[in-house]
Amino acid sequence: MTFSLGQLALLGVGYLFSLFLAAYAVERNWLPRSWVRHPLVYVLSLGVYASAWAFYGSVGLANQYGYGFLAYYMGISGAFVMSPILLKPILQITRTYQLSSLADLLAFRYRSRWAGISVSLIMLAVVIPMLTLQITAIGDTLYLLNREWPVENLALAYCLIMILFAILFGARHVSPREKHEGLVFAIAFESVLKLVAILVLGGVVLFGVFPEVGGLEQWLSDNQAQLAREQVRLQDGPWRTLLLMFFAAAVAMPHMFHMAFTENNNPGALKHASWGFPLFLLIMSLSVPPILWAGYYLNVDSDPSYFALGIGLALESEFLTVMIFVGGLAAASGIIIVTTLSTAAMFLNHLVLPIYKPAPRYDFYRWLLWMRRSLIGVILLLAYGFYRIVGSDLDLSQLGILGFVACSQFLPGILGLLYWPQSNRKGFISGLVVGTITWIYGLLLPFCELALGWEIPFFLPPTDEGNWHLSAITAIGINFLLFVIISLSTKRSAEEQSAADACSIDNVSRPSRLPLQAVNTNEVINALTPSLGRYVAEREVYQALDDLELPSYEDRPYALRRLRARLEANLSGLMGPTVAHDLVNRYLPFQKDVELTEDIFQLEQRLEGFHSRLGGLASELDNLRRYHRETLERLPMGVCSLAPDGEVLMWNQVMSQLTGTESREVTGSHVSRLPAPWGPMLTDFLTSHAMHKHKHRVDSAGRPRWFGMHKAVLQPSGSQPGGTVILLEDQTETQLLEEELMHSERLASIGRLAAGVAHEIGNPITGIDCLAQSMRYETDNPELLEMADQIQEQTKRVTRIVQSLMNFSHAGHHSTEHEPVDATYCINEAIQLLKLSKRSQDINFINDCPPELMTMGDAQRLVQVFVNLLGNARDASEAGGTIWVQGDMDEQQVRIRVIDDGHGIPAETLDHIFEPFFTTKDVGKGTGLGLSLVYSIIEEHYGHIAIDSPLASGRGTCVTVSLPRCEQPELTDHHS
Amino acid sequence: MYDYRLSLLMLVGIYLISPVMMDWWLDDRAAWYRPFGIWALLIALYIWFNSKQKDNDDV
Repeated sequence: MTFSLGQLALLGVGYLFSLFLAAYAVERNWLPRSWVRHPLVYVLSLGVYASAWAFYGSVGLANQYGYGFLAYYMGISGAFVMSPILLKPILQITRTYQLSSLADLLAFRYRSRWAGISVSLIMLAVVIPMLTLQITAIGDTLYLLNREWPVENLALAYCLIMILFAILFGARHVSPREKHEGLVFAIAFESVLKLVAILVLGGVVLFGVFPEVGGLEQWLSDNQAQLAREQVRLQDGPWRTLLLMFFAAAVAMPHMFHMAFTENNNPGALKHASWGFPLFLLIMSLSVPPILWAGYYLNVDSDPSYFALGIGLALESEFLTVMIFVGGLAAASGIIIVTTLSTAAMFLNHLVLPIYKPAPRYDFYRWLLWMRRSLIGVILLLAYGFYRIVGSDLDLSQLGILGFVACSQFLPGILGLLYWPQSNRKGFISGLVVGTITWIYGLLLPFCELALGWEIPFFLPPTDEGNWHLSAITAIGINFLLFVIISLSTKRSAEEQSAADACSIDNVSRPSRLPLQAVNTNEVINALTPSLGRYVAEREVYQALDDLELPSYEDRPYALRRLRARLEANLSGLMGPTVAHDLVNRYLPFQKDVELTEDIFQLEQRLEGFHSRLGGLASELDNLRRYHRETLERLPMGVCSLAPDGEVLMWNQVMSQLTGTESREVTGSHVSRLPAPWGPMLTDFLTSHAMHKHKHRVDSAGRPRWFGMHKAVLQPSGSQPGGTVILLEDQTETQLLEEELMHSERLASIGRLAAGVAHEIGNPITGIDCLAQSMRYETDNPELLEMADQIQEQTKRVTRIVQSLMNFSHAGHHSTEHEPVDATYCINEAIQLLKLSKRSQDINFINDCPPELMTMGDAQRLVQVFVNLLGNARDASEAGGTIWVQGDMDEQQVRIRVIDDGHGIPAETLDHIFEPFFTTKDVGKGTGLGLSLVYSIIEEHYGHIAIDSPLASGRGTCVTVSLPRCEQPELTDHHS
Repeated sequence: MYDYRLSLLMLVGIYLISPVMMDWWLDDRAAWYRPFGIWALLIALYIWFNSKQKDNDDV
């Protein structure tokens, strides 16, 4: 049974196109988000690990080592079981610092461009054998099905198609920050396909190939001796080496790193993957032994690696054969797409960008996109070149061993990154380089010599398929040893130390608080423009601000520090950590000659993030910290903590209420840059020598407020950075009460004076009046009579004044019992009284008060109040004017407003209007005691009086009298 | 903090004794699917153990 090239091409391209359609459907949001982000999709996407080696090569491995083939599945399962301490911390680091490949991660940790370059170059030694393995597998299977076209041509056609699809899948857009959700879904889809294919084949073998139920067991029992002869029992050495290699693959293989970390859009899914992925591998591996035995049973005429396909051909089942071919194609295509994408990004960041970066005038994003596409093509063509030179003569397991041993060279660096902060770049690079040289010398060259018959002109170890593990373990061992020895014997740079703390699993790094030279976001954009171009600089800065949920303009040192770190992380995702770090260091430098202090605020935020992970004493200490923090936050006084350089480190809730400025807006700002009036006020107090300040007046929101301020200086000691704590106390209420008390006191003293004066003046005035009366009786002289009349008129005037004074002086001492009073009635009474006056004839009084506006008080004195208020309103009004009296009430108060449309009261007069003897009327027309009297009576009634003048129209005055409401709607005697 | 040192030590221990474990797993006299059965059992135990632990750590 054979297939034509057209059929195979249709099958292959059709499958890849359907895979692309699945990805496209996700990108177009045709599928629900909940499906795409489901942990199952993530777990299945990790199935990219099960490449053509798992699909075909595992059977070959099982043929060679029996159950030893399980090492391929168990090694990586071990890594996933350990995910809380191995994969999860790496996921955290890659997400935080936007690291998209292993080279990014190691270059970030070891703060070395050379680390990135060496990892990228050595990754080539991992990637090329792995890609060659896939190309070999697909080329061979195509040849098995076609048997016409040369296998090399079939492999080349496959490579070219894969270049196109790899670009379609992962290099259509530019920003590496965007997760390729379509790719993840497509890889999950292909995992399902290969799983179904291998399970169906396993089922066919178990229930279709062997004659009856239990036939396999019977056949195994009959052929045990023959099988034992053909298989090598895997010894301890190779088993452990295989386990170690496949364990390392979980993080070191580029396709695994890409799917597990770079494309992870649901961190919680890793927890499910810790058991879900081993389960997937278990199901994948379940069919391997039956396939091998069925291959023997059916005498399949092919390499054991291709028994799966051979069984379909032997059974002459087109369906089974096509299904197995598609399953294998899925396994190979998935790893090729993911590996080329991730490796292209890695090479771009670590091999291209450090050497060449386009001028800012070019579209940087577009340039990156085309570079990535070109690199995808170059990598796949390199793999095809390797396939043509050596690959076709090396079998799948040899290619796999070459790739996996090379990838395990990264293991020391990765473990050091997580668990050994003292490790350094010198140790890492030297271990990696020497380990890789050992791999080339001990494994690559002997394999080439063995398989290709190359004549190597120097001595090589006698490595073959039986003892390859010795060379592998030697390479890894030398790598480990050098890593440890050189790390111990050399020092780390401060930069490296900081990165080590950031990566370390028990990270307790204390962020420092250095101010940037750029003082706001605009300056940050300007600083980056020469390197990135205006468009990219703006886009990256605004993206970083958006990520941090900060406004588009920031000048807080704390916010700028965070912006810088975020920019470095985002640029790292775009161009790798080395280039991003160099770029940020060069264009966004910190200020020089500034004392380095710790960023307490950021440290606290970090501790807050760690809260749930703390245990034992650390947890207790953290609880204590939170308690003290809460105490300060809830303190009924404004608390503001300042760093020695004036940066705000803490701003509690009361401080936010008093200033109307939220903590998140000011934390990290320099105190002098706080909005007025708080910035100047706190800065003045901070720089003054006074430790306390009482009743400091501040005009805020158009009204005066008074604050008490206290400060305490924190002396730096040990790791404590020192600083200043300022307490702010609102004393406005106290101040207003004091002023009111003083005002009342002044009024009272004037009242007492007036009473005395009235008493003393009363008697002589009575005498003068009597004498004037006598004079009228004693003379007929008209001049003297007129004089006597004038004297009497003047004395009456004096008497009126004295009477007013007497009334005023007695106002504060009335002790009448208050009773329910109808205010509307009092107002009507006052209007009637005023209407008796000639002056009131041409004024229109309108009482709009609702009936039964009940208050508690003395009706007579309230009438006196309204007579005064309405009289003043009348005097201020022009002839024909109108005076309105309005009233309303709520549960506690009755409010009466007397409104006129007169000339209003000047602002300077308003301040003195309730003072005795203050009047704006002409001499003789007013005593200046009317409103003082009103004020006293209202106070006596526990009420309040306020004057608003001029009104919105620019004229008129509104006097509002508030009196306590009477709850008993009883009518007074006045009604009767 | 994670007690990762203990976990790492356990991992190394399992790694070193894994050949002995495999010898038992791959006993010729046992059913061919025994290794897979044991593997499935270990996964089930891991799921059960994991479900008992409250994981508050957000990545």
